[in-house]
Amino acid sequence: MSAASHGAGSGVVLGIVLVVFLQQVGYLDLSDLVPTLEYLLIGGVLGGVLGGLIGWALGRSYLARQAAREAAASK
Amino acid sequence: MCERWVHMGARGSADMRSRGTRPPRVGLATAVFALFVVALLLSVPVPAKAARAGPSVAFAATAYAVTWNNVDVSTAGSASAALSIDLTHSASLLYSWSTATPVNVSDARLQMYYLGFAVSTRDQVVSNPVAQSRGSIPLSWTPVSVAYLLEGVYRLTASFIAPNGTTMFSENFYVRGTAPLGVLAILPIVLLIILVYELYMLVRSGRYVTLGGKGPSPPPSTPPESSTATPPPTEDASPPPAEDSAPPSGGSS
Repeated sequence: MSAASHGAGSGVVLGIVLVVFLQQVGYLDLSDLVPTLEYLLIGGVLGGVLGGLIGWALGRSYLARQAAREAAASK
Repeated sequence: MCERWVHMGARGSADMRSRGTRPPRVGLATAVFALFVVALLLSVPVPAKAARAGPSVAFAATAYAVTWNNVDVSTAGSASAALSIDLTHSASLLYSWSTATPVNVSDARLQMYYLGFAVSTRDQVVSNPVAQSRGSIPLSWTPVSVAYLLEGVYRLTASFIAPNGTTMFSENFYVRGTAPLGVLAILPIVLLIILVYELYMLVRSGRYVTLGGKGPSPPPSTPPESSTATPPPTEDASPPPAEDSAPPSGGSS
């Protein structure tokens, strides 16, 4: 499950950075501490879950492609 | 009666069995969605709305007003209605009050908040303040120090301070600061670089599946016997030279 864990790690960072980026280019208010922490926590959790799922799916597709490539090479 | 009880119990167990056969991801998605909804409900700025109720009650007797470049800041009470400002240009604020009884205002204060902390504070102190029923204090503010660094929406608080340090009146409003280079300010660029890098790492994360024990079978040219007969990898071999090369503790003392 290394692909899922790497995807989750990238997703957590993406979720947190996206919240700060939305404050910079959008209208997300990060002036108060408590909603900011909630936004960062939600972004990190959602990003981690989605990143883990994406990494898991990419890992499966990578394995399938590797198996097909090996089968083609053995023929 | 007894048969009815037995029948209900059998039906409930059937329901439980049917629920148990559901895929667990549905439950996980429901839990994540419920957490998201609860967090959104908790993030409703109730204290800010409650704070605006106080001055409106006192507005009947006294009137405090703050203008930002001749625009009343009470019109920018939410982030979506933020005043659009250029971070390099100075802003002219005017603190004015009109009260039935004379009040003593000694300081006009402007604070800019980020992550709950006042990242910028500007004070216009009145020397020898006297009690007046109406008056005004001009204040000029130029956020030059953060002009090329930040963009975005920020909350500002304009306060009337009494000589004893208490806040007589304060009003929160929002500004949307634009940097001279737009989104090419330093912090948005750093965040964009991190976003692109993490997206690349997320797309590339599928390759890491081979490290998780589910990788493809080793190529046939590598015999499994040789891998087991080979000496341990360099990770195991590296500590002994480090221990040998380290000076003895007794010699140094």
